[in-house]
Amino acid sequence: MALVNERVRILENECVGPNLYLMTLSSPAIAAAIEPGQFVHMKIPGMEGHVLRRPFSVYAADTAGGTLDVLYQTVGFGTNHLAALAPDVANEIESAELIGPVGRRWQAPAGTQRALLVGGGVGAAPLFMLCQELVGSGVHVDVVLGAQTADALVCLKRYEQLLSRDVRVATDDGTLGRKGFCTSLVQEALAAGVDGAPYQYVACCGPEPLMKIVAGQAAEAGVPCQISLEKRMACGVGACLSCVVDTVDGKKRSCVDGPVFDAEKVVW
Amino acid sequence: MTATPMLPATAAPTSVNMAVNLGGLSMKNPVTTASGTFAAGREYSDFVDVSALGAVTTKGVSLNGWEGNASPRIAEVPSGMLNSIGLQNPGVEHLKACELPWLSEVGATAIVNVSGHSFDEYVQVIEALEDAPVDAYEVNISCPNVDAGGMTIGTHVESVEKVVGMCRKATRRPLIVKLTPNVTDIAEIARAAEAAGADAISLINTLMGMAIDADRRCTLTSRPFAGFSGPAIKPVALRCVWQCHNAVKVPLLGMGGISNGTDAVEFMLAGATAVAVGTANFVNPQATIDVIDGIAEYCERHGVKDVNELIGALQC
Repeated sequence: MALVNERVRILENECVGPNLYLMTLSSPAIAAAIEPGQFVHMKIPGMEGHVLRRPFSVYAADTAGGTLDVLYQTVGFGTNHLAALAPDVANEIESAELIGPVGRRWQAPAGTQRALLVGGGVGAAPLFMLCQELVGSGVHVDVVLGAQTADALVCLKRYEQLLSRDVRVATDDGTLGRKGFCTSLVQEALAAGVDGAPYQYVACCGPEPLMKIVAGQAAEAGVPCQISLEKRMACGVGACLSCVVDTVDGKKRSCVDGPVFDAEKVVW
Repeated sequence: MTATPMLPATAAPTSVNMAVNLGGLSMKNPVTTASGTFAAGREYSDFVDVSALGAVTTKGVSLNGWEGNASPRIAEVPSGMLNSIGLQNPGVEHLKACELPWLSEVGATAIVNVSGHSFDEYVQVIEALEDAPVDAYEVNISCPNVDAGGMTIGTHVESVEKVVGMCRKATRRPLIVKLTPNVTDIAEIARAAEAAGADAISLINTLMGMAIDADRRCTLTSRPFAGFSGPAIKPVALRCVWQCHNAVKVPLLGMGGISNGTDAVEFMLAGATAVAVGTANFVNPQATIDVIDGIAEYCERHGVKDVNELIGALQC
C-alpha cells in the first residue's frame, strides 16, 4: 500500500526486560496494512534538538483494534528518551507520528512446508508476525531464540503459545536453555531437519554477526535464507541514500529495498 | 477498522500571488526541494503532490553512475545531521529514462542538480539533458563529500568562472549555480558565478562538519568530514544569503535549515527569491507543502498581496 504519515497515540510503554520496552501504539491505518518484516519510522515526541526519526520493527499488529506492538531496546538518546515517555492518557492526544508501513517483507519461497526462524535478542520480535502467518498457512515452523539472559527472552511466551510446543533457546549465561550462542542450536536444527526432511526457508533477525553466521550455516545446508538489516536512516522512504547496504547487485537501501534481504545477496 | 485513505498533500488555496521568477525559471510558488533530500520526487509522492511545489530539485546526477561513500553515511548532531552520501546516483541516462518522464507526467517543474568529477563532465551532463524535460539546471560546485568536482571547484574564483562559463555555453536554459558556505568570502564566489553567466545562485550547500564517538575513538561517519545540515545551520545560511543579496543582481535560491513558513520568509527577507526545503523532509514528509502554506499565511497575516514584496525586504 501507499505509505502514510499517521499521527498516533502511545497507549502503553512498559519496561519488560533489561533495557527492553514494549510499546503499544494506536495506528489504525498502518495496523491494517502492515506485513511481516515491514517497519515504521517514528517521530518521537519531545526530541527537540534531535531532529531525525527513528525506525522501529513491528512485533505484532491488531488490525481489528487498530494497534501496533513495538518491542525496542534502549541503545541511545532516542530510545532512552522514548522509554521515559508516559503513554498518551487523554483520548485526543496523538503525540507521535509514524511513517509506514515501510519496506520489503519476509517472503518464504513458494511451497515452503518447513521453516526455521532464528531471533537474536530484540530481533525475536520482527519475526513474530512472520511466524503467525506461516503457522496460519500450515507451515511447520521451528523457532530458535537467543539472548544474553533468561529475562531478556521476552518474546518466548508468545512464540510458545503460537507454536504450542517448545522453542529452542540459548542464553549467554545459561540462565535458560543451552548456555552459549544460539548458533549451535541452528546448526543442529539444520542438520536434523523436521523428521529428517530439510528446512526450505530460514529467516533470521538479530545482531549482524549472528545473521552473518546463520546466513553461512543456511548456505552450507543449501537452505534459502533471509535476514533483516537496519542501518542508520534519515528519510525512511528511499530518498536520502543514507541506509545503503552492499549487495552483489550494488548498493541497496535498507529502508525500501530491505529491510529484509536474501542473505545470499548481501556482501558482509 | 478500515484505513482512511490519505491523499498526498497539496498547497491550500490563497489570495496571495505566490508565483516567482528565478532567473528565467517560472515557479508557481517560491518553494523547491534541496537536492539530495527528495530523490526525484517519486519517493515522496505518497505524501506530497509534487506538482504543487514551485519545483522539484533532483538528486545530483553525474554522467555515469557513482557508488557514493562507504557506510555509515549519516550522524545525528544537535539540531541537525551530518551526511556523507558522496553523490551516489545511477547516472544521467537513468534520470532521463525513469525520473524526468515521471516528473513531466505529473506536471512538476524540474530543476536538475548537475554534478561532475571534472569541468567537462558538468558540460557532458547538461548536453545529455538538453533534449529532456528539464526546466532549469543547478550546477553543484559545492558538495563537500567527494574528492573530485563538487566543493573543490566551488571554493576558487577561477574554477567557478571556468565551470560556470562552460555550462553557460552548453545551454540556454536557466542556470543556477549552487555555492558552498565553506569559503572565506561567499560574495566573491557569487560575483564570479554571476560574471560567468549564472542566471541565479542557490545557497547554501552543507557546512563541513565532523562528529566523534568518544567511546570508540572514531568518527561517526566513514569519511571523517561530512556535510552539516538542519535547523542548526540556518543562521549561517541567512547570513550568506544576505551577503550575496548585497553582492549580485541575479536572484537567489536560499536554503539551510528551513522547516516552516516563517523560516522561509526569513530567507526571502534576507534576499532570496525562492527557497529550498532539505533536511526537514526527513522529519516531516509534507514539510514542503507546510512551508508553502506557511508563507501564504504569513503574507495574508501581514497584508502582503504578492510574495515578491518579501524579497530583500528586511527593514533593519
